[in-house]
Amino acid sequence: MGSLIAYGAAALLAAATAPAGSGDQAPDAAAERKKLEEQIAKELGQAPSAAGAPAQPAPAAPPTGQAVGGSPLARVLMLPDISAIGSGAAVWNTLDVPVESPRSGPVPMAPHKVTPVFEELELGIQAVVDPYARADAFVSFGPDGVDVEEAYLTTLSLPAGFQIRAGKLKSPFGRLNQQHPHVWDFADAPLALTRLVAPESLSGAGADVSWLAPVPWFAELHLAGQVTTPVAPVGMEAAGRRTAIGRLAQFFDLTESATLGVGLSGALVELPGDASERLGAADLFLKIRPLRSRAYLAVTAELFARGLSGAESGQQDLGWYAQAVWRQDAFWAYGLRYDRAPGVAGGAEQRGSAILAYLPSEFLRLRLQGGVDRLASGRVGYEGILALEFAVGAHGAHPF
Amino acid sequence: MRTTTTATAITSGRPGGWRALLAVAALCLPSLAAAKLEVVTTTEGLASLAREVGGDRVDVASLSRGIQDPHFVDANPTLAVRLRRADLLVDVGLDLEIGWLPGLVNISRNAEIQPGGRRRLTAASAVPVLEVPTGPVDRSQGDIHPAGNPHFLSDPRRAAKVAEAMAAKLAELDPGGAATYRARLESLEKRIGEASTRWLAALAPFKGTKVVARHKTLSYFFDWSGLVAAGYLEPKPGVPPPPSHLADVVEMVRRDRIKAILVENYYDTKSADLVSRLTGAKEVVIPGDVGGTREASDYLGYVGELVRLVTEALR
Repeated sequence: MGSLIAYGAAALLAAATAPAGSGDQAPDAAAERKKLEEQIAKELGQAPSAAGAPAQPAPAAPPTGQAVGGSPLARVLMLPDISAIGSGAAVWNTLDVPVESPRSGPVPMAPHKVTPVFEELELGIQAVVDPYARADAFVSFGPDGVDVEEAYLTTLSLPAGFQIRAGKLKSPFGRLNQQHPHVWDFADAPLALTRLVAPESLSGAGADVSWLAPVPWFAELHLAGQVTTPVAPVGMEAAGRRTAIGRLAQFFDLTESATLGVGLSGALVELPGDASERLGAADLFLKIRPLRSRAYLAVTAELFARGLSGAESGQQDLGWYAQAVWRQDAFWAYGLRYDRAPGVAGGAEQRGSAILAYLPSEFLRLRLQGGVDRLASGRVGYEGILALEFAVGAHGAHPF
Repeated sequence: MRTTTTATAITSGRPGGWRALLAVAALCLPSLAAAKLEVVTTTEGLASLAREVGGDRVDVASLSRGIQDPHFVDANPTLAVRLRRADLLVDVGLDLEIGWLPGLVNISRNAEIQPGGRRRLTAASAVPVLEVPTGPVDRSQGDIHPAGNPHFLSDPRRAAKVAEAMAAKLAELDPGGAATYRARLESLEKRIGEASTRWLAALAPFKGTKVVARHKTLSYFFDWSGLVAAGYLEPKPGVPPPPSHLADVVEMVRRDRIKAILVENYYDTKSADLVSRLTGAKEVVIPGDVGGTREASDYLGYVGELVRLVTEALR
């Protein structure tokens, strides 16, 4: 696979212009060097300098000491970063959740029964593969068995701001959909994500090509082709569907301590026959954190839309959520969320949730979440979740 | 040179080519100005050293600010935009930036600033590191740095070593500037040397004097200055002080007649205030890095401030 990526990198680079960062060499020397590279490449029948790195002088070897018989830690040093994140909850609800208000996240076994739930143990295995790519794999051990949540390669050295991820991955669609549940501020997903996009998350095998635009702010464009399992239209079985996804994500520094993120996503899902399903999402994220402080305010809102064409054309569904989280200091955070999504039997279901999080350390989180749910029928349900999470090992940084 | 070649090609065409030539020349101007090496550092301390060594040949930007706790910088995607253009990334290393830098480097699309890359300099590789764990490590010991203590820029000797590594790396990336970098490094080393003589003379009366610190951020400063850490407000790295531990600290401060409690200005000073009030020891709020206070506007200013604040408190 690594050589495939390298080959891809070489092909792309051959089509690209001069590599960036040549400004540090005299133009003459650079031109000559390029000529020499091209000549050598011609002789070898290859594209010049795959991925820049190998064409450069080899980086200095890591500092080495003297040890009789070599390093006894060699095997350990070669290990990928391994981490495990465990999450579980005690959950209570007055509704018969699977029937009246299906959702992802912890669900009690019956109404009014406090139920302990083991959610998942996520095992992360992450490392650089070679000078051209890295690999990230997350295996989820849950009550229903083992699932590869994500496992993908990411290129590191494509030219012109391109990057490709290939494997099984969460679709670049919306904001929350791309995050692992243990990163979420709330203990469950907004209803709109579950009802309109995918029962768990829009994800699957495929590839995501992204491009970081050469502009002074962060602007990243994604185009992905994947087999995903979105929410099945009425009367259709949930199954893998070929899906094309596009996303433009942008981040702006409003001030030194405020950042605004806006994203637009769209997906086209191929259904049996000539039918297709269209998904759209708009997301907004605002984070305000005084530089000197651990405290911050994060506001997130996402709007989801789903439409069908073909047999059931004309059906349009909308849902959204908005939430605000105030992290007071290293230990305490508070949040509020409003949530609106199509109900199981038509109409709109609304929910309000509040959360209190206590973090004794960076690696442990205890959360108490309460919610009031108003079904489309007017019936009201109450829920309570006490969620516990821990992280051990070398887990990578979380998304912003 | 490249401009001349273009000019030849264009002037061989129609007279209108002159206008095109002007346009091309105008386009080349920003790129000539941008011929400076873009150096991105993770902290302001590193940025100050890079400015000293690089002078006019470099444009230096720091991803974090000196008033920030370097352990908790946000992985803001807008920082990746700066990394994308970086000709050189200088980081501290020893996992100080583990929570935010690797992800940003990965989305920067800049292959050469990956760890071990030609355009990456990890400052820790240039200095002797303190507090490298020799036994088993786990987080029951707190949020420790498993590779050793990364707060080494408070020691001017180690800062000089980092500057040396920067000069070598800059010369490798920009051979035309090698002589400039060497000369600027020598000048910086001379100024650090002269200032150190002054600072150490001021600190000499306090050699062996015990002080209390908030976190193990000053181990290298103590190693250089001869001051001794009697204890820390944190019971373990990154763990907030519980009352029982603060009681121990208060007893120790009283017993050993400790006169100063040092706290970086990005920390909450509540526990330091309390211990100071209960014992009479002075609470000394210090800049955590270059840029931490107005006086600490560059590297020499930063160490000068540390020395001034500490000696005034101990006098």
